[in-house]
Amino acid sequence: MSLSPTFLLTAIIFTPALGALFLAFFNKKAVEPMRMTALVFTVVTFMLTLFLLNDFSAAEPGIQPVQEDGTRGVSHVWIESWNINYQLGYDGISVPLVLLTSFICMLAMLASWSIEKQVKGYLILYLLLETGMLGVFLALDFFLFYVFWEVMLLPMYFLIGIWGGPRKEYAAIKFFLYTLAGSILMLIAMLMFYFGSSNLPGGSSFDILALTQIGQGNVAGITFDRTVQITAFILLFIGFAIKVPTFPFHTWLPDAHVEAPTPISMILAGVLLKMGGYGILRIAFPICPVGAQYAAYALVVIGAVSIIYGAFAALAQTDFKRLVAYSSVSHMGYVLLGIAVWKIGEDSAAVGRDYWLMGMNGAMFQMLAHGVSSAGMFFMVGVIYDRVHHRDLNQFGGLAGLMPVYTGLAAGIFFAGLGLPGLCGFIGEVFVILSAWNYSPVLAIIAASGVILTAGYILWTIQRVYLGPEYKGPHAEAIVPMNYREMTVGAILLVFAIILGIYPESMFGIMRESMAYLVQSLDQGYQNYAAAVQSTSEAISGILK
Amino acid sequence: MEVGLNHYLFVGAVMFVTGVICMASKRNGIGVLMGVELVLNGANVNFVAFARYTALGLDGHVIAMFVIVLAAAEAAVALAIALNFYNNHLTIDVDRGDELRG
Amino acid sequence: MPTESIGNELALLLGIAWLLPLAGFAVEIFGGFLWPRVSRTAAYIAVACIGIGFLCSFTALMKWGNATDWVVLKGTDSHHASAGEHGGEGHGDEGHGDEGHAEEAAHAEHAEGEESESGVHHDAVATTFSGTMYSLGTFGGLEVTLDWYIDSLTLLMFTMVTLIATCIHVFAIGYMSDELTEDHVDHEVHTADGGHFHRPGRFYKFFSYMSLFCFSMLGLVLAGNIFQVFVFWELVGICSYLLIGFYVERKSASTAANKAFIVNRVGDWGFIIGLMILWTYCGTFRFVGEESTDGHAAKPGLFEMVRGNDGQIDVNEEEDVVYLRDAHGHRLEDPETHEPKTIPYALLIVAGLGVFGGCIGKSAQFPLQTWLPDAMEGPTPVSALVHSATMVAAGVYLAGRFYPVFTPEVLLTIAYIGCITLFLAATIAVVATDIKRVLAYSTISQLGYMMLGIGLGGWAAGLFHLVTHAFFKSLMFLASGSVIVGCHHEQEMPRMGGLRRKMPITAYTMLIGVIAIAGLAIPGTVIAFSGYHSKDAIVATALAHTNLNPGHFLLFIVPLVTAGITAFYMFRLWFYTFAGEPRDQELYDHVHESPWVMTGPLLVLSVFAAGCAIGGEQGFLYSMLSHSEPAGVATGVEAAAVSLPGHDLIHDVHHEAGVMALFAAVSGAIIAYLLYGAHVLNPADIQRHFTGLYTFLVEKWRFDDLYDAMFVRPSRVVAGWCAATDRVVFDGILHGACRAAINISKWDRLFDEGIVDGLVNLVGNVVFGIGRSLRVVQTGRLRQYIMFIAVGVLTLFVLLFAFFPKY
Repeated sequence: MSLSPTFLLTAIIFTPALGALFLAFFNKKAVEPMRMTALVFTVVTFMLTLFLLNDFSAAEPGIQPVQEDGTRGVSHVWIESWNINYQLGYDGISVPLVLLTSFICMLAMLASWSIEKQVKGYLILYLLLETGMLGVFLALDFFLFYVFWEVMLLPMYFLIGIWGGPRKEYAAIKFFLYTLAGSILMLIAMLMFYFGSSNLPGGSSFDILALTQIGQGNVAGITFDRTVQITAFILLFIGFAIKVPTFPFHTWLPDAHVEAPTPISMILAGVLLKMGGYGILRIAFPICPVGAQYAAYALVVIGAVSIIYGAFAALAQTDFKRLVAYSSVSHMGYVLLGIAVWKIGEDSAAVGRDYWLMGMNGAMFQMLAHGVSSAGMFFMVGVIYDRVHHRDLNQFGGLAGLMPVYTGLAAGIFFAGLGLPGLCGFIGEVFVILSAWNYSPVLAIIAASGVILTAGYILWTIQRVYLGPEYKGPHAEAIVPMNYREMTVGAILLVFAIILGIYPESMFGIMRESMAYLVQSLDQGYQNYAAAVQSTSEAISGILK
Repeated sequence: MEVGLNHYLFVGAVMFVTGVICMASKRNGIGVLMGVELVLNGANVNFVAFARYTALGLDGHVIAMFVIVLAAAEAAVALAIALNFYNNHLTIDVDRGDELRG
Repeated sequence: MPTESIGNELALLLGIAWLLPLAGFAVEIFGGFLWPRVSRTAAYIAVACIGIGFLCSFTALMKWGNATDWVVLKGTDSHHASAGEHGGEGHGDEGHGDEGHAEEAAHAEHAEGEESESGVHHDAVATTFSGTMYSLGTFGGLEVTLDWYIDSLTLLMFTMVTLIATCIHVFAIGYMSDELTEDHVDHEVHTADGGHFHRPGRFYKFFSYMSLFCFSMLGLVLAGNIFQVFVFWELVGICSYLLIGFYVERKSASTAANKAFIVNRVGDWGFIIGLMILWTYCGTFRFVGEESTDGHAAKPGLFEMVRGNDGQIDVNEEEDVVYLRDAHGHRLEDPETHEPKTIPYALLIVAGLGVFGGCIGKSAQFPLQTWLPDAMEGPTPVSALVHSATMVAAGVYLAGRFYPVFTPEVLLTIAYIGCITLFLAATIAVVATDIKRVLAYSTISQLGYMMLGIGLGGWAAGLFHLVTHAFFKSLMFLASGSVIVGCHHEQEMPRMGGLRRKMPITAYTMLIGVIAIAGLAIPGTVIAFSGYHSKDAIVATALAHTNLNPGHFLLFIVPLVTAGITAFYMFRLWFYTFAGEPRDQELYDHVHESPWVMTGPLLVLSVFAAGCAIGGEQGFLYSMLSHSEPAGVATGVEAAAVSLPGHDLIHDVHHEAGVMALFAAVSGAIIAYLLYGAHVLNPADIQRHFTGLYTFLVEKWRFDDLYDAMFVRPSRVVAGWCAATDRVVFDGILHGACRAAINISKWDRLFDEGIVDGLVNLVGNVVFGIGRSLRVVQTGRLRQYIMFIAVGVLTLFVLLFAFFPKY
């Protein structure tokens, strides 16, 4: 296939939006055709991302496609007076996430058949949401990134606020406020970079690649100094940490998850949370290596605390969905932990860089694994909720006998969340943990104790929901085995959980070079900065003499 | 006794005051117009007197001429108003015309 | 290279044995939808898979023997044995059974001098093989792989596991046959309306789980690196979880399954910590280095790094840093800085303790022993396979496999943990009345013996006991399973009695197992059951150890005493169950001997339980095992803190220890006979005299209560706090901020409406008011206006003159 990169990338981002437009012309009573149309559009988008995977070259570490003149990504002028471009590109970090997004969106669309209310509006917002998410992962212009970030926000607000549960307004507003607060901080950092880069030959820029080069000290005569980097990093980090979410910015997540309809929970957990991690990997770290190194210990602490805190909080829940939501907090803690284990020596070079690289890879893998397993867990909660309309863990039981296939699939997915070898959760968690000792033994030990708590809450949940002789809650008559649509979704997720678990190279192969390049460039960037500081202080002392 | 500037001014003042009183006291519209003429001519007397007794030269005369012409034009307009007023009210009693009351 | 090819051949055979059960699992679990509930197909597939696995393993064992010219059996000093001399002899061994080799071994041993082996097996003929199967991830210079590692221990474990598993699978066909129905009635579960619980049978599911377990267990044994061990460690854990909780409807079963998994995870936490340390300092998980095929320097594995090639740890003078070395004993250097690669000695201890923590969990050692008795909720074949013969022994296997990385301090810890465990479990077993629980505690106790043996430096002795124990304990579990089926799922021994008349095969095979575990023998003859040899080896090691380190005398006294206790409670079990008169006539009347599909495996296993260790330390089994002994074990260690006895010292005290152990065992057996067989004393009287102690033991030393109070409840409380923190603190902050924002905006509204708008309105109102008041003046009267003008002008003039009189 020789699609022009611009066309392919644009098509990936805007196919769902096109679908939304198309759906606008439907009669709102034609529910089934609209669902099918929306499904077709998500499938087409998924196909297009497969084309992207085909075009992607795993051996190339940097941003792709590489143009003939050596520039990276595709870029078209958008708002000339402010030097804003429609700039897109992909590398080993974004390609897996783009695939995950279109994949989860497709499955969540299949799970959307349970939505009965105002289907037309739901589907349109759903497709717009997908456009926003794909745009975030493919944008290389900070302004464009920001625009997509906000585009994703609004449909989500309505999807929770209209199609949600009893406290939907509260949850939607909470979600919106948190995310908006984060994006404001991001906006400030963005403007700091924009006005800090005015000495560039082309004037101020939102170009993430150019800003990265500046931040890593590779551009002569222009740098972001230590204060700027630290300030900007903290702003960006809080912005992204809210999305991840990490302790203590996580309280929107349980509410949003509990109130959101099942497919939206799947997307929320499967994709949206990854945008925070992606932002840290794509923007916060590369542009502010000094700030990142400055904050590394705090990040690792936050990661470890998230793991333990989320697991404990999950242990205390009686709402099935809330429990799964807290497990997300716990699992995403590993992501932060793995990204931040950047230990430097006296010469400011990274100590045990391979371990950091392993942590980074593990974190990235954990994002993908969590995307599959948490989407699966939410789906499994949704399946039973659709039948009995409650989620009280103490009022289940005996589902293993009533819904054997469902129980089998759910057990598989929950074991993936538990981090069982052979399933996807294990690889990410254990690689991150193994890389952590090099950075801080104490935190590594604390984080590792999460394995006990995770086993505790997952097994206890399985016991309360699936095992036992009899179902104890209301609507016992509504419990029927899964239908084929539900089985398809569950089985596909479980199969992918297994594939990722026994063949992690499928994802490591894609991200390896890009991750190595990222780690190498961050290390180099920090050393550039240290060398600059060194030479300045020498010059000053020379003058003083 | 030499007739001086003060005498002229006295005459002018008498005419002016008489005109003003006439305007204020007459309820007949024509009477009011006549009062106006008196006021204007009182002023004219002053202009001409100042022209004669001071260094104004012909300026006073010229202005007096202007005032006469103006008075003629004003009388024409005023008489037209008076006629219309009569058409509407069947009288020219100015006290009857209080439609512009606030 | 021929060694290459034999290595690959072995890997292929063991790989087949390993992967077949996985394929079986896949077929069985999905086939469950196709086959009718009454179909035994799943069982046949499972038996076929594991049976072929056994054949492959056995073939591999033979091939290994032939390829190495049975150096094992020709004595440990194999350096002088040339390949050509014994080649023909080796090929002739194919058809022989174990005993044949054992005899041969005995011959070889006579020709042998006192010289012990050096532990390096690469000299004449390669006897260990390793290779990489699969890469899980590469990160710069780091690579996480799945490897295979084959030595005589691996081969023995494979053969043992597959053999026992085959027997147990066959047994399970009979044991689980009540699941072969559409309407299975679970008498232990009551529904809300008071009836028994009905469900479809799950015959196929049981066998699929069993196959998955076999796959995981064999993978664990085949593993060539410690990470891979961890992977399969978790997998056997989840299989154990599934099998313990097989009767998912029973609350007790699912709770026991959870407990097993979570307690194991506590151990795994330690395991991960150990992994982290080794990974960070050594940069590899592999046991041994990669074969240097292309002339490049081979990457050394963990064993070489820590122990070098001479079995010694290379410590600096302050004894706080260990230098890592390559396979040739040279210190490793960091390729960039050229500083030697080291690991702090303290961390090496922590790493060892951490990995051993995993072993504690899996092998149910003190203080994580509480899960294993509860695990008896699973069907009895599971208890036999998973919770006595294989999985729980995996901890011991790992302790043995990972021996080179353990420092003397860690070994001493292992010994003490084993010592505490073996005593503690044995005391509880004395008072237990559930037939399976007695066996469970006896398993814990025996695992303690194995740990003790390994910790004291008796590497081969510990693993020797592992293999013999696997046979006799699985035999006893199966026999108890047969009893349970015969008694219609009655497990309480006080209701049994006299069963030997109704089920003779079960009773006498059980007796073989009891004699084996008690370690009885007739001294001076070849009549000695397997447990005699293996326990004897451990006790001898303990005695030699105590001679070297008199301060640690408990490590000898306790196992010796416990040997007596073991004999006592095992014979108690047998007399209680099979001898005497029936205590519950109604139960007794319905008892029947089990069908052949169940008694057949009992007979097979009883042969091995009795005879697998034949020849003792000169026998085939021990020779095979000690061939894989890590470097440096044989010579022992002389150190200020703790010395480990070498082979010579152990050999010297062997006879003495054997007599002592036998004396202890015999006295235990006699006491049991007097109490329960001959009824000379009434056990109930003794029980009354020691009520406090009895209750304490019945309550399992109160560990469950203690852990509940120490860990379970606190963690629930902490969990509650975390959830409350979210609700109260974080959401409180958020809600507070929202309320503040709302209040601010209310004030803002007031300000806007009151002050800003008020000012504007005021101006308007004032102007309007003024205009309104002036309206009065506007009368419309012409003459009045003129009066105003006149008066106004006049006033102006008057004012003018009044204020400015000058002009």
